[in-house]
Amino acid sequence: MKILIAIGSKEFSKPTLRTGLKVAKAFRASTTIVDVGEKIGKFNAKIIGLAHERMESWEFDRPGVDVLEWAFQYLADNEYIEPNTIEAGFPKNTLVETGSNRAEVYLKGTVCKDVNLILRNGDIISELRDEVHTGRYDVTIIGGSQKRRMAHDLIQYIDSSIFIVNQLISAQTYRILLAVDDSSGTKKAIKYGARVAQAFDIGVDILTVSKNETFRDGYRNAAERAAKFMRRAGIDCKNMYKVGDPATVIKEESGNDHIIVMGASTRNPLAKFFKGSKPLKVMEECKCPILIVK
Amino acid sequence: MLGFSNRSLTNFLFWATQKKWFLITMLVGAILYLLPTPSGLTLEGYRIIIIVITAFMMIITEPIPLPGVAIYILVMEVVLGIGSPEEISKSFMNDAVFFIMGSLMLAVAIVQQGWDKRIALGIIRLTGNKTKNIVFGFTAISAIMSSFIGEHTVAAIMLPIAMTLIKFTSEDGEKVHGLSAVLLFSIAYGCLIGSIGTPSGGGRNVIIMSYLQDINISISYLNWMILVYPLVLILIPIVSWILVKSFSPEYDRLDTGVRKLVVQVAKSPELTGRNTLAVFIFFLVFLGWVFLSETLGLGIIALAGVLMYLIAGFVKWEDISRNTHWGVIILFGSTISLGANIKGTGAAFWLANKVIYVFGSLMEMFPFFTDTIIVIMTTTMANVLSSSATVAVLGPITMNMGTDSLHLGMVTALASAFGFFTVVAAPACTIIYSSGLVTAKEFLKAGWRVGITCIVLLITYTNTYWMVFK
Repeated sequence: MKILIAIGSKEFSKPTLRTGLKVAKAFRASTTIVDVGEKIGKFNAKIIGLAHERMESWEFDRPGVDVLEWAFQYLADNEYIEPNTIEAGFPKNTLVETGSNRAEVYLKGTVCKDVNLILRNGDIISELRDEVHTGRYDVTIIGGSQKRRMAHDLIQYIDSSIFIVNQLISAQTYRILLAVDDSSGTKKAIKYGARVAQAFDIGVDILTVSKNETFRDGYRNAAERAAKFMRRAGIDCKNMYKVGDPATVIKEESGNDHIIVMGASTRNPLAKFFKGSKPLKVMEECKCPILIVK
Repeated sequence: MLGFSNRSLTNFLFWATQKKWFLITMLVGAILYLLPTPSGLTLEGYRIIIIVITAFMMIITEPIPLPGVAIYILVMEVVLGIGSPEEISKSFMNDAVFFIMGSLMLAVAIVQQGWDKRIALGIIRLTGNKTKNIVFGFTAISAIMSSFIGEHTVAAIMLPIAMTLIKFTSEDGEKVHGLSAVLLFSIAYGCLIGSIGTPSGGGRNVIIMSYLQDINISISYLNWMILVYPLVLILIPIVSWILVKSFSPEYDRLDTGVRKLVVQVAKSPELTGRNTLAVFIFFLVFLGWVFLSETLGLGIIALAGVLMYLIAGFVKWEDISRNTHWGVIILFGSTISLGANIKGTGAAFWLANKVIYVFGSLMEMFPFFTDTIIVIMTTTMANVLSSSATVAVLGPITMNMGTDSLHLGMVTALASAFGFFTVVAAPACTIIYSSGLVTAKEFLKAGWRVGITCIVLLITYTNTYWMVFK
């Protein structure tokens, strides 16, 4: 299992990093933390490179290194990396350029497998897509964004499961809201839902939504299979059957105290692009964290 | 769907999203191509205007790499019958392209000489510890240096000096935000106003000089300075005053910052013979520009400087090659080719006449109105495009908007330096922005005040001081 955690700044990325590392720990996943800095026009890229070289000669870090250093400190404080790595401090000098817009540093992990820190510059969707594609990540964890376009692009173009850490408050008690149906994505969503529930040590509400009063066999079977899976894993769970528009019902049931877990849409990419999808609608309407499993 | 997998459909949609501006540009180009040629304009003239519009759309939105836009320009010029392959390749290269190439290479050579620490000490000795004086010192030194060296080189050298003062004044960025902005903008804006001072201040000046030479008008390096440098000296205190007023730095004195900076500089190695020789080589280049540029050309002299640095072993070719953006050089070449063909096909004359047709009566009534239109047009374009590309394309048009081509061309070159409003307008602006200490909004905050002041002063200056020489 490989997890990519996208952070952006020291001020706003702490919940994303905390949640991401908790999930990574539950999966014992190989973890990469990436900071995608602002896109700088290619027109002046070389000249900026020259200016940054001068900055480094005066012992100033280029923008973004401070964010990685902060992430390193978080890893150290919570003992996610080995003691001798912590003792040596943030290995700035081993931040290796691995492409025109990419630099990375390797750290030896403890509870997670290896932890890598990566610095990239550019358009966030392009950079994450490239990183996920080359690194073959299973889950991308990222903070929430107000931009509709961003939500759409994440779901449409990032080739991994997406966990959006939307307003996750550490003091609040959450439950997982696992949306199931007869689609092919449900099976994987159940597994991921169970792992996240274990990571946060919380219960699971299994939600089945039908547009009319009759619940197809496939729906009931999926709900029962999910409940069985949870019980076997020792996770507290309850089944809920609701009638209505799936996105609206999920929004109502999730409130502010659930982490939504659902499978990705099985619609073809063109239909998703023009008509949207259930996960996109849920992402737009719900204020809570959401994991869309691909 | 039609045998395409979901993955390939997703890849296609991603490509289309990323390249949407390319697709829109091609659509605009196709529509314009199908429209009838405007009366009074040759078919080639109309087609070159289509290439200009589409190329500029792509330079602004960057849907494909910029060297790709350059190749697009060259390919379309041949495909649309603007000229034969030989003619287009000849129009691609002139002394201005050599100058831009030499200037980018010289930047690499100069930046590696470690002059920054000496310059830092020099500024502090001159200005003392008062913030206002330091801002003036930064603006003045950046302006004076960028008149000769090239704004990107100066900004790269000055940036860490300012950052040292900021960092040692307070580690907390919030407490020194105003100070950060005022110091960094004094570098960027100082570079911009200084770059108009001499022909070697920027590629745009050299482009106008080469256009003037094409119509047998020449202006020497010294004459340019006599005409323009007083404006630079007027602008330095005004711009630094506006910056202090705009950003209200948190500290009146930078005692700790200055002390630490002096300590930092003291730790650096002593000045060596090699450092002195590096300065001497640049001084030779400067003398070459002043006394030999009319015969040898500014570009050849800049390249001669690079050659001397290479022979002396002060810079490795690998470093030059790695740090020089060859794509930018190709792009400048292609925009110069566009400019030459706008002129050659008669499109420049036609466009100039259109402007005169619209504003002619005002131009006759108020002599300064032509300058005003040129300055507004050029400044606007330079803030969204690159200044050199703006001058390469607008130059042939503006020089046809009146009888005094020298005056009109120089006004165009000077106005193109006023890239105060956006991050992308000038390399110096992008460099200070890349430090992460200033925001894009702050370019507007200070930019509109400095920009309007510079525009008003330029128009007043060119219609008073320059009249003395006529």
